[in-house]
Amino acid sequence: MRSVIETAPAEDVCILDTEASPEHLSRGTARYADGLLAVVEPYFKSLETGRRMAALAKDLGLERVALVANKIRDERDLAAVEEFASQHGLEIAGVVPFDEQLIGAERAGVAPLDFDERSPAVEAIGKLARDFVGER
Amino acid sequence: MAVAGKGGSGKTSISGTMARLLARDGRKVLAIDGDSSPNLALTLGIPQDRMSSMPTLPRDLLDRSGGGAVLTKTLEEICASHSVRGPDDVTLLVMAHPQHAGTG
Repeated sequence: MRSVIETAPAEDVCILDTEASPEHLSRGTARYADGLLAVVEPYFKSLETGRRMAALAKDLGLERVALVANKIRDERDLAAVEEFASQHGLEIAGVVPFDEQLIGAERAGVAPLDFDERSPAVEAIGKLARDFVGER
Repeated sequence: MAVAGKGGSGKTSISGTMARLLARDGRKVLAIDGDSSPNLALTLGIPQDRMSSMPTLPRDLLDRSGGGAVLTKTLEEICASHSVRGPDDVTLLVMAHPQHAGTG
C-alpha cells in the first residue's frame, strides 16, 4: 500500500480510507499521506481513539493532522469535542452534524451524495474537503 | 490524505463523500479503500456487483528483492486492471478483500 501511495501523482487528490485500528497507522500504511483526518464522535472513547491516531500520525511526520467532529447533534456535542481538542492541542478541521439523511442513505444502500446531495452532513463534508485540500 | 477513525465513526461516509465532491470540483481523485472490511465503494455510489467482479491486487505487485518494496507496475497499470471508475469519475482502488486482512 505504501508503494501505491508513494507513486500517486501529487497534483491529484488521493484519499485513503484507512483501518480503524491505530496499529495500522503505526505500521506505516498512512506514512506517505500529506495529512490525516481522524474522525471522532462526541464521546470519550471515540475522542481518545482519535487522539491516539493523531499522535501517531504526528510521530510519523504527517504535515497536517486534525480531528473531524462527526455526528454532532447540538452545542453540547460540539463543546465536548472542542474542549477535548484544546486540551490536547489538536485542530478541528471540520464539524459534520448528525444527519438522518446519512442513515437513510445507508438503509437504501446508496451513497450519501446520491441520496440527498443537499443534506446538512453532505454540505459540511464538502466544506471540510475544500478547507482541507484547498479551493479550486 | 488519510482518513481514520473508530469503526462506526463515519470515516467511510466522509471519505467517499469528500472524494465525490472534490471530483465535482474538477480534481482527479483516487480513493483507496485500505480497510480490511472494504465498503468505501458503497459511499462512493459504486454498486456492489461491480466490486465482486473485480480481481484482488496480485501478490507479485511488490518486488522486495532489493530490500525495500518497489512496485512492479506503474500506478496507471495497476489502476487499469484493478480499479473501478465510479460516479463523478472517482477512481477506486481496493487494497484488501476480507479474506486477505492484514496483508495490505
